[in-house]
Amino acid sequence: MKLIKDKVAKLSFVALLVTMTAAIFYTPTASAHGEKSQAAFMRMRTIHWFDLNWSKEEVAINDTMSISGKFHVFAGWPETVDKPEVSFLNIGIPGPVFIRAGSWIGGQLVPRSVSLELGETYDFKVLLRARRPGEWHVHSMMNVEGGGPIIGPGKWVTITGSMGEFTNPLTTLTGQQIDLETYALDSIYFWHAVWYAIGVAWLLFWVKRPMFIPRHIAISSGKAASLISANDKKVGMAFALGTVIMLGVTMGTTNEKYPVTTPLQAGLMRGIKWIEMPATTVDVKVEDATYRVPGRAMQMTLTITNNGDSPIRLGEFNTASVRFLDADVLEDESGYPDDLLAEEGLTVSDNSPWAPGETRTVSVTASDAAWEVYRLADLIYDPDSRFAGLLFFFDEDGNRQMTMVDAPLIPSFI
Amino acid sequence: MSASQSAVRSRAEAVKVSRTFDWMILFTLFFVILGGYHIHYMLTGGDWDFWADWKDRRLWVTVAPIVSITFPAAVQACLWWRYRLPVGATICVLGLLLGEWINRYMNFWGWTYFPVNFCFPSNLMPGAILLDTILLLGGSMTLTAVVGGLAWGLVFYPGNWPIIAPLHVPVEYNGMMFTLADLQGYHYVRTGTPEYIRMVEKGTLRTFGKDVAPVSAFFSGFVSIIIYFLWHFFGKWFAKTDFISDEDL
Repeated sequence: MKLIKDKVAKLSFVALLVTMTAAIFYTPTASAHGEKSQAAFMRMRTIHWFDLNWSKEEVAINDTMSISGKFHVFAGWPETVDKPEVSFLNIGIPGPVFIRAGSWIGGQLVPRSVSLELGETYDFKVLLRARRPGEWHVHSMMNVEGGGPIIGPGKWVTITGSMGEFTNPLTTLTGQQIDLETYALDSIYFWHAVWYAIGVAWLLFWVKRPMFIPRHIAISSGKAASLISANDKKVGMAFALGTVIMLGVTMGTTNEKYPVTTPLQAGLMRGIKWIEMPATTVDVKVEDATYRVPGRAMQMTLTITNNGDSPIRLGEFNTASVRFLDADVLEDESGYPDDLLAEEGLTVSDNSPWAPGETRTVSVTASDAAWEVYRLADLIYDPDSRFAGLLFFFDEDGNRQMTMVDAPLIPSFI
Repeated sequence: MSASQSAVRSRAEAVKVSRTFDWMILFTLFFVILGGYHIHYMLTGGDWDFWADWKDRRLWVTVAPIVSITFPAAVQACLWWRYRLPVGATICVLGLLLGEWINRYMNFWGWTYFPVNFCFPSNLMPGAILLDTILLLGGSMTLTAVVGGLAWGLVFYPGNWPIIAPLHVPVEYNGMMFTLADLQGYHYVRTGTPEYIRMVEKGTLRTFGKDVAPVSAFFSGFVSIIIYFLWHFFGKWFAKTDFISDEDL
């Protein structure tokens, strides 16, 4: 019996070792950015991205592509997240697979952090230049100080070619033409190597003699003074003076070589222009909203009043970058990522046109697997269980109006 | 062989064993320091040391020396007190720089493709040489703390200037002026390091005009003195043999 037990134990141990070793060889590529893990209320109630356009789906090394579109800064920004007073328009990619050749909000270059106003809508554009081949998930992204990254929708983009072909040419204000990819690399390696060699020389001077045990015995027996000779002090003095002299000389020669240098540039950019959105003529009141967990569907009862002078229909509900469309009203032609698009995900109990001046209460259902796939259903576990999103109404001529909705959400488990 | 008998039978054998111990201890010490100091410096100096666009004339100059004098002070205390070896600071910085270069080259460049001219480490070697030589020449931990600590802070910027100066050359880009280091930070996308996290050029040293680096370096040196005192006590405590009872020896 003991023999069997021992064998089982031994084999189990071997199996464990084999499993652990095998696990080392399994290193899948991490291509996504945790967008599904971000709290649902963050994605629903902070920055709403819409009208996004990725200019290319395949791009060669050194070529450019852009992501452009609009984002609305939600007026009902959650209390648990700091306001976007210091924000940075970023891009969600796995490291510098592209370089950010430019980024603009409201037509202004935004290399630094900006201050955004609640309730306003901004247009943006990020210009990217391909650097590393592969297939990459490219997201829009807004970092908010005290809030973290608020990631927008992502789309797969393929970069072709070889990274060795990538160059980043620039001309400095002193007229020097450089490739930023490799600029000053020789100098960095050289100075680190020189100083490292000096450090090694100092260490070698001491380790060439008996070190630990004899010296410890000497100190313990009161002969510490004998361990440092006059020659040691001379060498030490030479190293100290040599270091100081070398610092002075290299400072001088560096200043001669680079007479014009400036401090790092920093600072918050205010006064970013937002889009003057036309005043909406649609009034929407949320009577109630429930999320039916088994059906992966959110149902809202909305009282909608058309205060405009042309009939309108509800075409889209956009929340957390997931777009629920009523296919009878709106068809996406922008190439929006499939996984974020519910082309027939919006059902309105009566979506006949609202005549000018008409008020009607309807039941609106947004249903799609995206609720689960993008973990938006986790909203019911969030500290502030409210939902929010954009409603898009269209008149007969295709003119669009945008309205925000923001209300408590009651989960239904049956 | 009883416990009271010697393990060696001749002086030549004793010397050989002693040298073997020297190399074993040195090898182990080097890599233990490399690991410990590297983690410490990544956690405290962090981004200031990682990125060229964090290496400014105010906060980098101030923070990096203060948080990096720790291990050199402790190891110096241990090696000087027990062995009269003035190599504590140098061995720390050699270990740190080796670890940092492996990390920057293998990880920052090899895995995530940030150019090395954007993520090179700071040079701490001039300060380390001065700390060790001042300890050797003065033979006093107090003198080393005061003079060496101050020197550690003061020489940090000059020791790095030949490396970072090319990256402080200005460039016009889309109608704005940047340094090349700023532009590196903008071009080479860091998803988890937004621009506002960057702590550069902040503070109240505005009355010194553009010459703030020396003032920052002096301040850094003063604080380095205090940190040196504190960490040299850690080193002395660590080098005690009180943990082992006489009976075990």
